[in-house]
Amino acid sequence: MSDATRIQERKQRPTTGRIATYLGAFTIAFWILFPIWFMFSMAFTTREEVRSFPKSVFPFTPFSTDTMEFFLGVDGVMSGLINSIIVAVITVVLSTVISAPAGYAISRYIFPGRDLFRLGVLAVRAFPVVVLSIPLAVLFIRANLFDNILSVALMHTILTLPTTILVISSVFASVPYELEEAGQVFGASPWQSFRHIVLPLVVPGIAAASVLTFVLSWNEVFAASVLTLENRTLPALLLNQLSQSGPAYQFAGGFFLMIPSLIFMFVIRKYLFNMWGQVSK
Amino acid sequence: MAEIRIENVSKVFGDHVAVDNANLTIHDKEFLVLLGPSGCGKTTLLRAIAGLGMADAGTITIGDRDVTYLRPGERKISMVFQSYAIFPHMTVRENIGFGLKMNGSGADEIKKNVDEAAELLHIEQLLDRRPSDMSGGQRQRVAVARALAMKAEVLLMDEPLSNLDALLRLEMRAELKRLLQDVGATTIYVTHDQIEALSMGDRIAVMRDGVIQQCDEPSTVYADPSNRFVGGFIGNPPMNFLDGLVRADGDEVRVSVGGNDIAPAPHMASALAGFDGRPITVGIRAENMKAMTGQADGSVPVTVQVVEPLGSQNLLTVDVGENRLKVSTHPTFDVSAGDTLWVQFPPDQIRWIDPATEEVVSSGETTVGA
Amino acid sequence: MAVITPRKKKRSLTPYLLIAPAVLFLAAFFAWPMVQGLILAVYDDEAVLPLVAEASIEADRTGELPQGAAVAILGQQGNTIDGELTSDLLTEQWFRVTGTDPDGADVDGWAPETRIRVRDEASDGTPIGGTVRPVLGENADPLTPIRSEPTERADVIAQLEQRAPVEIAEVTVLEVWFNVSAVDEDGQAIEGWAPSRFIRAFENGEEGRVDRGTDGQFTSRFVEKMLDDRFFGPAWRTTLLLMVLIIPIQFVLAIVMALVIHARPKGTSGFLYVFSLPMGMSDLAVGILFFSIFTSNGLLNSILDLFGLIGDNPPTYLGADTRGWIIAAIVLAELWRATSIVMVIVVSGLQAIPDETLEAAELFGASYWQRVRYIMLPLLKPSLQVALILRTILAFQVFAVVIALGGGEIVTVLANETYRQYFELRDNNVASAYAVFILLLSLASSVFYLRAMRSQNEVAES
Repeated sequence: MSDATRIQERKQRPTTGRIATYLGAFTIAFWILFPIWFMFSMAFTTREEVRSFPKSVFPFTPFSTDTMEFFLGVDGVMSGLINSIIVAVITVVLSTVISAPAGYAISRYIFPGRDLFRLGVLAVRAFPVVVLSIPLAVLFIRANLFDNILSVALMHTILTLPTTILVISSVFASVPYELEEAGQVFGASPWQSFRHIVLPLVVPGIAAASVLTFVLSWNEVFAASVLTLENRTLPALLLNQLSQSGPAYQFAGGFFLMIPSLIFMFVIRKYLFNMWGQVSK
Repeated sequence: MAEIRIENVSKVFGDHVAVDNANLTIHDKEFLVLLGPSGCGKTTLLRAIAGLGMADAGTITIGDRDVTYLRPGERKISMVFQSYAIFPHMTVRENIGFGLKMNGSGADEIKKNVDEAAELLHIEQLLDRRPSDMSGGQRQRVAVARALAMKAEVLLMDEPLSNLDALLRLEMRAELKRLLQDVGATTIYVTHDQIEALSMGDRIAVMRDGVIQQCDEPSTVYADPSNRFVGGFIGNPPMNFLDGLVRADGDEVRVSVGGNDIAPAPHMASALAGFDGRPITVGIRAENMKAMTGQADGSVPVTVQVVEPLGSQNLLTVDVGENRLKVSTHPTFDVSAGDTLWVQFPPDQIRWIDPATEEVVSSGETTVGA
Repeated sequence: MAVITPRKKKRSLTPYLLIAPAVLFLAAFFAWPMVQGLILAVYDDEAVLPLVAEASIEADRTGELPQGAAVAILGQQGNTIDGELTSDLLTEQWFRVTGTDPDGADVDGWAPETRIRVRDEASDGTPIGGTVRPVLGENADPLTPIRSEPTERADVIAQLEQRAPVEIAEVTVLEVWFNVSAVDEDGQAIEGWAPSRFIRAFENGEEGRVDRGTDGQFTSRFVEKMLDDRFFGPAWRTTLLLMVLIIPIQFVLAIVMALVIHARPKGTSGFLYVFSLPMGMSDLAVGILFFSIFTSNGLLNSILDLFGLIGDNPPTYLGADTRGWIIAAIVLAELWRATSIVMVIVVSGLQAIPDETLEAAELFGASYWQRVRYIMLPLLKPSLQVALILRTILAFQVFAVVIALGGGEIVTVLANETYRQYFELRDNNVASAYAVFILLLSLASSVFYLRAMRSQNEVAES
């Protein structure tokens, strides 16, 4: 066999199209990254620098955790953070536990009402958050669940449920049913073949869906603001204190809101496409 | 004039050499088939000619134009894709007229050419339909009509029949051959199906691992393969290969196969003498051997393992010593598994292959180029 | 399109059991609240106040008055409380007193708090003893009647002299009922009794109006209130303006981003990650981000200052008289934030176009722009349709970005008004009316897009 290194890949002459592609790619990347970069640099510098004008366009000078420490020390911020985490975790658990069987059912069974169910799920997804928040708040007040983070978690579960169901059903659909049948042919019970064959194959996909759910819950601000008064989640707290707070508080708060999505988007970047492909159907 | 000259063309993907230093000249109006197993680089070479992926080395000339660096649209070529690549959102008429529209032809000319192409392929009645509700065969015709409507001097076809079912493929093969003869374009046709290659091509270029093994007329490629690969790839059943040992005793050269001696044709004797004491591979096609129930001059005893009646012939699988080979016989030849037969190897039908290079040993009188 | 290949075909309960939790959850926390929300917007459960013949809930109805009707208060009396104690409840206190009447007989009965002066209290403040107040007026009966029940209607069982000492055995609180007369909606004069908590009495104590009713009624009042709201006009106009400004630019930008990704520059996956970053970001965080750029001592002015383009006083962009700048900042923030999701949908659509189709177009002489124009865009139509519906629905919900950049007063949007009605004005009904309005707009635009796309296809088919 011949040795590839002796043939140099012929460098394509840089066409205008190629140049335009890279120009576009870097311009758009800059447009997206620069504001994030600025916010991060402001979150990790001194409060004097954050208040000053003109600000240094060069980031992280001087580097300091002063802004961060100040922000975390503000009354309510720590509890807001903890509330946000609790709400997101409850949402992930509820949403996954409820969606997984439903996703499995619509990917594996044909039954009367299946299309209706899918349509219903899609309809819920298309409903505006704003529309659902008010009546839910009224119901939660009647049920003495108002200003309780459980109510926020229930609301977020509703918001994420349709997406999670559709994503999980596509994850199951990607595992051929023949594999389960093969398992059963070789003597496994339906449950065993699900447990030992399907589950290991779908766990990464379901985990990615959970991560997406976490981020959606973490970011959600309207419902959280409507449903709480004292027990605010972080976004609801920030929204309500925005007008009375200084720039240091805002930068640090913005930083905290962004961090999970940056990390989780990186973790699930491989699944991003499959998921949004599903979601956008 | 649309002669295509491919000179020293190579194409790499990462560290995989897909096409390795290909040299090939396709004459004006010739029908050349690029034949080889999947992954041999034939499609890559065709795409390099089309301009879909630039060659990493070498030059490609069409007529007197060096097209190596031209974009596909500038090469004045036309192509039928393996998946047909019919534009799903356009009617058949729009599909066929697409290329003409792109090169700025007027509406009248587009209509005239589209109608002509549709008539050639007998799809006039489909012109205003959309591809989504058409059968595979109909789409195939649309793809060919689209390629012909361009009236390009060069027509490239990438396994155009591979997505059709067997019966339709047979029918389309004959129709395409007739059509392309009428059109008279220089055609490069990629296929992995040797029957298509043998039945359609003016010449066949056989490729393997990115290297063109042999380029000759179908009968030559079949009868005189340049190496063991070509012999083994073409023909059904493929050429038989037996291990032999050369013994030269003065002018007398003998090859021992499974304990029996075979005499080479006289014109091969001097070339084979150089192999004295070394192994050699004996290549012979199933239909070129003569099976007999009794011993005859120069015949070799064999044991029948399997008898496959194929209607027009009986195909026998027989053992000669350690070697297994296929022998075809007349369907009335009565034999069953376990019988012992005698097989004659006509010397002028034997191709001698050097096991070290796998090249066919030439008599020195003719040269076979790769 | 993901291919879902359902395999099990035999009828069984299993799938229903599997979807049951989701169905129940959706029913409880989606369908039921949605119905409630719709009802809130058009149904006033305090619309009508019935009047009854006597100060008793068992009495016959004499008529009914709408909320807000003016009434004349003819009289009042205490009555046993029906319903919970609320702050607007008018009450009377009655004491059960024991003492001795002028004839020396023992008396045990009820007298209103107004007739007894409390002289002695238990340690917790409960009155335990006092004297009967003197009756003022020349012709008045000097004796105070003591009744069998804590109501004026009860029989008089005894009388006590003024200043007679009594022990207070029990205290009860009664709700005041008003005897009112008014003209009802049909122009009929009616008279009857109603509990005081439903009627707001004016200072003079002789007139008042119906504060709220007890019976529900469908009403367009909340919708009218929303339509008359001074923020309603600005809110829907701004929401639509933002949509019209954002969506076209967004789609062009998203298609450009998708084409860049589809052209597979070196490091495509890295670019893809960066391009899709904003998709996962909180809208509030993005609002803060752009606030930090546009605020007067923010990034924009810092950069302008770096090049010496502004003087000592950096201009204000997000102030009360720079509405245009606020809109521009919101548009930029929304473009930054929500273009990614459109891009991802378009990239998925582009990936679904087979390479050979594009190669065929290229081979038949189509330039890059011709391929975009004649092949890619037509084949992307379904993806773009989905993205358009999704983006429009989301555009009606734009909220946190607007609050962060405009404070919610100078520039306001429908979602913000919903929030304001609910949170600041505590008017659930009008808030629901806003929510229903947003819902209707979302549905209408989705139907519009689907219709428009379909009829286009039909034109193409014919």
